[in-house]
Amino acid sequence: MSRVSPEQDPFRAIADANRRRMLDHMLAQERTVGELAGLLGIAQPSVSQHMAVLRLAGLVDERQEGRRTFYSVRAADLRGVAEWIAKYEVFWAERLDALAAHLARQRQ
Amino acid sequence: MRDIVVAREVAFPREMVWAALTDSRQLAAWLMPNDFRPEVGHRFTFTTKPAPGFDGVVRCQVFDLRAPERLAFSWQGGALDTVVSFDLAQTAGGTRITLRHAGFAGASNLLPRVILGFGWASLLSRKLVAHLDGCRHGA
Repeated sequence: MSRVSPEQDPFRAIADANRRRMLDHMLAQERTVGELAGLLGIAQPSVSQHMAVLRLAGLVDERQEGRRTFYSVRAADLRGVAEWIAKYEVFWAERLDALAAHLARQRQ
Repeated sequence: MRDIVVAREVAFPREMVWAALTDSRQLAAWLMPNDFRPEVGHRFTFTTKPAPGFDGVVRCQVFDLRAPERLAFSWQGGALDTVVSFDLAQTAGGTRITLRHAGFAGASNLLPRVILGFGWASLLSRKLVAHLDGCRHGA
């Protein structure tokens, strides 16, 4: 996986429960900061701050319509997260190979 | 929700596989250095190399222990709060080991929804798929 600065690290971005809830709401449909504030029951400035983190991590797209900004989840950049899970799959496949080799040594 | 599931059949008796899973020294030989003890509720760690966003320590707690067929423990590392389980089934030729790593959603449903919604499978390289196929068929 490519090296990213802490600000761009998607895992750091989703480590916060409110940011995960924001992403959950933006998965179903695009949302404004005001809508998210209402859905989460937190102040708009807080939502704006969280949104800045999500944007830096490349997890959301924005679309301007008149004076309103709509935010949605950017699928492609969640790839890092999916790749990370895929790495775990390889990790376990390799560990089970190691377990089989270990068992063979035990028997000898 | 998509869990990681890796299964292997090995030509060794189930008790022997169980010992390799539940003896700290043996566990270290094929998985990672640890302070595991086969007791429900026991908290332990695995230690490995740190990586960005991960301090190299996996924090675990045993929550299911049924000799010689099932071991499950929590697996917390980096931003993840997940569950790892091993199920051992006796077969004609030895033991079938099924590893399941579940709960990638952590406290929210984000990850599985993202992964299902945006085609997790398509994100896997052909190389990885080939590797897993090789493991599955070659074991």
